[in-house]
Amino acid sequence: MSRSVKKGFYVDPGLWKKVIKAQETDDRRPIKTWSRRSLITPEFVGLNIDVYNGKQFLPVHVTENMVGHRLGEFSLTRTFRGHAGSNKK
Amino acid sequence: MPRILAVDIPGNKKLPYALRYIYGIGPTLAKEIVEASGLDEDRRAKDLTEEEINKLAEIIIERGIRTEGDLRREVTGNIKRLIAIQCNRGIRHRRSLPVRGQRTKTNARTRKGKAKAIAGKKK
Repeated sequence: MSRSVKKGFYVDPGLWKKVIKAQETDDRRPIKTWSRRSLITPEFVGLNIDVYNGKQFLPVHVTENMVGHRLGEFSLTRTFRGHAGSNKK
Repeated sequence: MPRILAVDIPGNKKLPYALRYIYGIGPTLAKEIVEASGLDEDRRAKDLTEEEINKLAEIIIERGIRTEGDLRREVTGNIKRLIAIQCNRGIRHRRSLPVRGQRTKTNARTRKGKAKAIAGKKK
């Protein structure tokens, strides 16, 4: 079920402050964050965000198309290296 | 067989059912369209006059309901977008695995295709 409109969008408050500041100062250094649940708003466009996947920070460059998705969607948490013994056809 | 919106040829079924043969029109919309047209819902699609068919088509266009090619294009466009932005859903589409968090240990055959035997897998 999608989020109630009444509540508005969710962005981690700490991350939000950093994003606004980065946009004001035109600072393109990556912002590290653990907040995978934060929604990408138009303010994020053009920034580099390092999103934690439980192990490391994966760099995400935010483009216009990504608005409306959440940060976690771009930082995969699983590694799949194929099944044992399937040595490719 | 009558044609609505140039392409579709619904069968000799009652109107709300015949309309559902158009891609993008399901049970609810079909019923609403028939009601809006004021036609008797027990009539068969084949006994419609040209005028009545045009009326149905008009209602579909007027309401901005996307059907057939337009709708298919929109859907593939959406999937393309997901793939282009490298998000998890896009990656699932690219690898043709289930997109909405279903289990893949078993099942998921619709997305994965027919099961492939794995050599030497016994007990």
